[in-house]
Amino acid sequence: MAGISQKPGGGGEMTETPSKSAMLSASGFSRKRRFADLATGIVTGSAFLLTLGVLAWIVWDLVRMGLPQISGEFLTGDVKEAGRSGGIGPVLASTFLVLLCCMAAAVPLGLGCAIWLSEFVRKDSRWGRLVRAGVDLLAAVPSIVFGLFGMAFFCQVLGMGFSILAGGLTLACMILPILVRTALSALNALPDHLRLSSAALGMTRTAMLKKVLIPAALPGILVGVTLGVARALAETAALVFTSGYSTRWPSGLGDSGRALSVHIYDLAMNIPNGSARASASALVLLLLILAISYLASILTDRWLQKQTGTK
Amino acid sequence: MSAKLRITDLSVSYGDFAAVRDVSLEVLEGQITALVGPSGCGKSSFLHSLNRLTDMIPGCRVTGEVKLPDGTDLCGPYLDVLSLRKKVGMVFQKPNPFPHSIRKNFEIPLREHGISKREVPEIMERNLREVGLWGEVSDRLHKSALNLSGGQQQRLCIARALALEPEIILFDEPCSALDPLASGVVEDHIAALREKVTVVIVTHNLAQARRIADRVAVFWLQDGVGTIVEVGKAKDLFASPAHPDAALYLSGMRG
Amino acid sequence: MCRSRIDRIAEVFLGAAAILAGGIVLLIVGFLFYGASPVLQSGEFPLLFTDREWQPTSDREPQFGIVPMLVGSVLVTVLAGSIAVPLGVAGAVFHQFYLPSLFKKWNRRALELLAGVPSVVFGFWGLMVLVPAINRMHPPGQSLLAAGLVLGLMILPMVALTSQVALDSVPREHLQAAAGLGIGRASTILRIALPCARPGIGAGAVLAIARAVGETMAVVMVCGNIANLPGSIFDPIRPITSTIVLEMGYATESHKALLYTAGLILVLVIAALAGWLAFHRNPEAVAK
Repeated sequence: MAGISQKPGGGGEMTETPSKSAMLSASGFSRKRRFADLATGIVTGSAFLLTLGVLAWIVWDLVRMGLPQISGEFLTGDVKEAGRSGGIGPVLASTFLVLLCCMAAAVPLGLGCAIWLSEFVRKDSRWGRLVRAGVDLLAAVPSIVFGLFGMAFFCQVLGMGFSILAGGLTLACMILPILVRTALSALNALPDHLRLSSAALGMTRTAMLKKVLIPAALPGILVGVTLGVARALAETAALVFTSGYSTRWPSGLGDSGRALSVHIYDLAMNIPNGSARASASALVLLLLILAISYLASILTDRWLQKQTGTK
Repeated sequence: MSAKLRITDLSVSYGDFAAVRDVSLEVLEGQITALVGPSGCGKSSFLHSLNRLTDMIPGCRVTGEVKLPDGTDLCGPYLDVLSLRKKVGMVFQKPNPFPHSIRKNFEIPLREHGISKREVPEIMERNLREVGLWGEVSDRLHKSALNLSGGQQQRLCIARALALEPEIILFDEPCSALDPLASGVVEDHIAALREKVTVVIVTHNLAQARRIADRVAVFWLQDGVGTIVEVGKAKDLFASPAHPDAALYLSGMRG
Repeated sequence: MCRSRIDRIAEVFLGAAAILAGGIVLLIVGFLFYGASPVLQSGEFPLLFTDREWQPTSDREPQFGIVPMLVGSVLVTVLAGSIAVPLGVAGAVFHQFYLPSLFKKWNRRALELLAGVPSVVFGFWGLMVLVPAINRMHPPGQSLLAAGLVLGLMILPMVALTSQVALDSVPREHLQAAAGLGIGRASTILRIALPCARPGIGAGAVLAIARAVGETMAVVMVCGNIANLPGSIFDPIRPITSTIVLEMGYATESHKALLYTAGLILVLVIAALAGWLAFHRNPEAVAK
């Protein structure tokens, strides 16, 4: 027997018109209730529409301002006149390299941390709790502080200077909590019988992880990775003082290179008449992020479907 | 004894899945009618359709007639469902007090049905006494209802339903989530409702049906769809069931 | 026995990764203290709160007052919160209780996408669209109002999504009980769903507000960046985060240390918010 599978919503308990019968006739209270229902609906509905409306307006403005500027040449061309003309080719290249460094550092570290937390320590162990608390606190650190830290640690103490590598590593620290949390929840969601049956077959824990657990948790881990990429791509403040401002084509990871978000900031704030190209860059960044987030949400849906499907 | 509810050809389906087909039943006033039968044969769907909880399930369709003595059709389109649910109360399988204080558990529904705040304490006390809970909770009415034991919570839910002065109360396996001792207490209080209100109770527990029911309706699957195969006075039905499946079930040989 | 040695090695490596991941936050706080140490040691720290103005580079009489910037941060956060929280929660109620389920998935997905819009893009939109509009109403346009609006819109999807989750996790039994007692939708929302979901909604709001306190890019482009106490919402302000990003580029020695101190204060404020939240969620665990 099916239970109530969904909350009231659209079901419209209140949509019936008043009864004509004597016994269940619409009393004054029921009219009051209908009014309360309507009023709540109108108040919350307008908040709902306002939210979506304003946010749609923002997206529309960005498209309107940016789209006319975008062309193949813009996407691949050199930056000219400090960004007032030309394209964003080198900027995209630097952005990509920063992301690459970031993920190369963050994925192994985050995954390792999550595996250790879920498979090698008990939930209530002291070290496990400390590491978890550390990661949670890291998630609360504002991005500008990551920038301060990256500048002091990677650029100065480790001697990397303003470089793509320093920027990528700074971002890696920033997105680490996202990776750890998603990977951890993916691993925790795996049924225990996978572990028990692998152990019963005499597999080492390493083999169990490699052959059974990580493949099973992979969709969830991928969701975390895409979310991390989106977050890293969106970040500006942490990069301004770590990966630098250079608009040349990067020749290596030790080079300074400006990320797309920094480019937008610089054009809008520091370059007179830079806003046209800034609009186009903002739209490119927005589209990249929307694409990645969309990918993440599709992956999430798949993953959830798979999970509920197997149950 | 007059019929309080006259149910004619009631069918319930969820999308393509038919849960209950063509059920007709008369629920007599002031009596306890027990619906028994194996799991999955539509008893709960049937019960939920009697106070339109089925409205909350997307894709659920109810056809047929459920008539009150004055001719109101509970399945009809022009019905104030909220007032219906005041007349026809419901107690669920799992005790479901609101996560508020005991007092609020009465105040919220009573105020919703237009009873002033001043009257709440008196109504609350009367109904808590009715279910034997007053002595146990009178000193912690402002404490969370979730601190009560399972049996106390279920009695609170019964008292809360009674507070709206319903004419009919529907019980959906009210004892199956409770331990045997608490279950016995709750059962006694349901039995005590006889004559005061009309009771329809779904139960898996045949012994319970035998103890408290005046009339029993046996649900069974026919072609994969639940329906009533036999109705009668509890005494007669348990003594000499006519339907062969029902006979095996009632004697404990099947189901 | 060599197979179990593989396990041992794996455990050591994974444990090292975990300790490193958990330790980064200590490293960050350590570096903030290290960067701020000239200020903390020289006894200039109290000046941050007693000096009236922020003139750290002045040769004759440097002034280190960060109070106007702290006030700026607080005001802009309060404004953003008072825009985003009511709108987000009310929108989530509509989503949960009124919106036909057909649209629910799309609304959720749209909000998820909007929550990912980069802060620099929000800031840029504010600079291009909002600031000129406010300027027409009341010059100069770059103002507390602009910053609060941009920041509020930025955290709005976050508040809406966390509120939806909180409302969605209200136990089904409570809603069923409400329906069984004939309680209408408005009362079900106000008296049952919202009270039940309040801890979750509150946690989401505090997280979003913590994010707003630390936000830099969305604010720096529209707030005007003048380190004075604002007289009205149309006056420019300069939150702490903006100060850091604007001045770090040319700061030297003691000025730099001041900026690190500002960063440290920011982290402490956010840690206090997070700690308060953790305490409210689970007082016993924290008390241990």
